[in-house]
Amino acid sequence: MSVPVLDIRDLRLAFQGFDGRTEALKGISLSVNAEERVALVGESGSGKSVTARAVLGLIQERRDTELTGSIAFEGTELARLSTAGRRRLRGNRISMIFQDPVSSLNPVYRIGAQFLEVIRRREPRISKREGCARAAAKLSEVSITEPERVLSSYPFQLSGGMCQRVMIAMALINAPSLLIADEPGTALDVTVQDQTLRLMRQLVLEHRAAVLLISHNLGIVREYSDRLYVIYRGRIVEQGATDSVFRDPRHAYTRALLDAVPRITRTGIPVVGEDVEAFSAPCEIHAEAA
Amino acid sequence: MRAVFRLLVARLFVSLLVLAGVSVLIFAIARVIPGDPARIALGPNATHEQVAALRGQLRLDESIWSQYAWFVNDLSRGELGQSLYTNRPVVKDIAQFLPATLELVIVAGILMICAGLPLGMLAAKYRGGVIDNVVRLLSLLGVSAPSFVWAVILMLLFAFYLPLFPIAGRIDTAFEVPGVTGFLLVDSLLDGQVAAFADALRHIALPALALALSGIGQAARLTRANMVETYDRPYVEMARSYGFPEWRIARSYAFKPSLIPSLTIIGLDFAAMLGNAFLVEAIFAWPGLSRYGVAVILRKDLNAIVGTVLIISAAFLIANLIVDLLIALINPRIRHSRDAS
Ligand SMILES: Nc1ncnc2c1ncn2[C@@H]1O[C@H](COP(=O)(O)OP(=O)(O)OP(=O)(O)O)[C@@H](O)[C@H]1O
Ligand SMILES: [Mg+2]
Repeated sequence: MSVPVLDIRDLRLAFQGFDGRTEALKGISLSVNAEERVALVGESGSGKSVTARAVLGLIQERRDTELTGSIAFEGTELARLSTAGRRRLRGNRISMIFQDPVSSLNPVYRIGAQFLEVIRRREPRISKREGCARAAAKLSEVSITEPERVLSSYPFQLSGGMCQRVMIAMALINAPSLLIADEPGTALDVTVQDQTLRLMRQLVLEHRAAVLLISHNLGIVREYSDRLYVIYRGRIVEQGATDSVFRDPRHAYTRALLDAVPRITRTGIPVVGEDVEAFSAPCEIHAEAA
Repeated sequence: MRAVFRLLVARLFVSLLVLAGVSVLIFAIARVIPGDPARIALGPNATHEQVAALRGQLRLDESIWSQYAWFVNDLSRGELGQSLYTNRPVVKDIAQFLPATLELVIVAGILMICAGLPLGMLAAKYRGGVIDNVVRLLSLLGVSAPSFVWAVILMLLFAFYLPLFPIAGRIDTAFEVPGVTGFLLVDSLLDGQVAAFADALRHIALPALALALSGIGQAARLTRANMVETYDRPYVEMARSYGFPEWRIARSYAFKPSLIPSLTIIGLDFAAMLGNAFLVEAIFAWPGLSRYGVAVILRKDLNAIVGTVLIISAAFLIANLIVDLLIALINPRIRHSRDAS
C-alpha cells in the first residue's frame, strides 16, 4: 500500500494557560489514504478542530502549546519541517474549509482579490488576468452561474451558500492532496449545507483529493465518509469503515452518540448525557475489509 | 462610487445646517456676554457721544434680529464685518492667523496617524510581548495628560534644560518667506529655502508633539484593541490556513478591517486638536488664531468672535467630513450599499 496522505501517530497536545495546563489531545492516531474520505466525529470540545489546526501547522506556531507525537503528511514529518516549510504546504498541498463561510472571507476585499492571493500561493507570478480567468473557471465548477459578478463582489454582497461555494472553489483551486473540512456549512441552513456537501463530494472526486471531514453531525458523516474516527475528550474511541461502525457500534460512547441522533438539538450537536465510565474504555477498531 | 457621492452630498448638507445653527448660537451668546463693545473699544476716556456714535455705526441699537439679518447679508458676500480690535476686516485677520493654527494641527494630525497607527499595529501583532507592553505604557502616558501639560513638560525638557528646540514662535526672524499658502513648511520649500524649512520644522516640532501626544496614545490604544479583536475573526484564521505571510495578514486581514471602527474616534481626536491648539499656542507663543481669539473675546469684539468661532467650527466639520469619506472608502458596505445604487 502506498504512503497515506496523512498519518497521525500518538498526537498529544496541551495548552499552557494562566490557570494551568489543559490537555486537549491525549494520544490520537489517525490516517487518511489518498483519495479517501475520512470523518472525525465527536462532541463539542472533544478536540476535532485542534487536530485540524495541528495538521495545518497552525498549532505549532503558538508558543503556549506542547505538541508531541508525529504528524506525517505524504510521508514528510511536519515536525522536521521549518515553520516556513509547513507554511508552504498550507493552501498548496493542504487546504481547509471553515464552518462559517461568510465570516471566513475578508470583508474589505473583493472575492477576486482573495482568489488571486490564494492562486499566487502556488504560482506567485501569475498575472491578474490569468488568475481571474482560472478563478472564474473554478467558480463555474461549483455551479456559480455568474462567476465574473461574484469575483467583483464583496463577501457581504453574496449569500451564505454562495460564500460556501466560493470557499470550496478556493480550497480546491491549487489542487491540494488533502482537504480538511471543519464542520463545513454548519452556519448555513440544512438544505444549503446538503447542497454544498454534495458539491464538495463531487469535486473532491474529480480532483482526486483526500478529505478529512470534521463533524458532529452523524447524518452527514454517514453520507459523506468512507471511514470514520470517533473522538471523545481527546482520545479516539472507535474507528472503522463508516458502514460497519453505524451497523455495529461497539464503544459505549459511539452507541450513546448514535442513540442521541433523534434528540439532536437545534445546533445539530447530539446531546450525549453526562459522563459514563464506559466512555473512557479503550479504542474499538473495526477490522478493515480485506 | 455613487453611494460615496451621495454620502458626501448628504454630509455636506448636514454640515451646512450645523454651521448655520452654530452661527445663530454664537451670534446670540456673544451679545449676551455683559459689557459694551463700543465702550471697551473706545476706552474709558471716550465721551458718551463718541460711544453712542460707534454703537450706531455698529448697529448695536437695532434689534438682534435685524443685526443677524445684517450679518447674514455680510456673510453672503463673503464678509464677516470689521474687527474693533485690529480695525481690519475679520476675514483678513483670520486669513492671517488661521494658517499658523492649521499648520500646527495638521502636523500634529500627521504625527498622530503616522506614529499612533503603526505603534498600535505593532502592539497588536506582538500582543503580550515586550513591544506591546511598552506601547501600552507609552500610550497610557500620552492619554493621561492633557496637551497643555505636555506642552509645558516638553518645553521645559527640550527647549529649556536641553535647548534642542526653540522655545517659542514659528520661525526665526532672520528668514523671510514669501506667503503663498500661509503654511511656512510649504512656502519655504516653494521658495527653495531649505534652511528656512528646517528652522520652521524645529519650531513646530515641540508644539505639534505636545498637541499630538494624547492623540497618538489614543490612536495606538484604539488600533491595538480593534486589531486584537480582528485577529480573532475567522477570516484571519482562514488566511493563516492558506499560509499567507504574517505581515500580509497583519496588514490586510487584521489592520485594514480594524480601521473602520478606529477611524471615527481618530477623526474626533483630530477635531479635538483644534480646540486643544488654543492652549498649546498660548504656551509656545505660536502666532495662530488662539491669541487672536482670546484677545477678541476679552474685548467683546463681536464680529471677530463670531468669525473665529465659525471658522473653527467649519474646520471641525471638514475634518469630520474627511473621516466619513475615508471610512466610506475603506468600508465596501458603505461604498456599495444596495439601497444607494
Ligand atoms: N487556544 C486554546 N487555548 C486553550 N485551550 C484550547 C484552545 N483551543 C482549544 N482548546 C481546548 O481544546 C479542546 C478541544 O477544542 P476544539 O476546538 O478542538 O474542540 P472541537 O472538537 O472542535 O469542538 P467544536 O465542535 O465545538 O468545534 C477544548 O477543550 C478546548 O478547551
Ligand atoms: Mg471545532
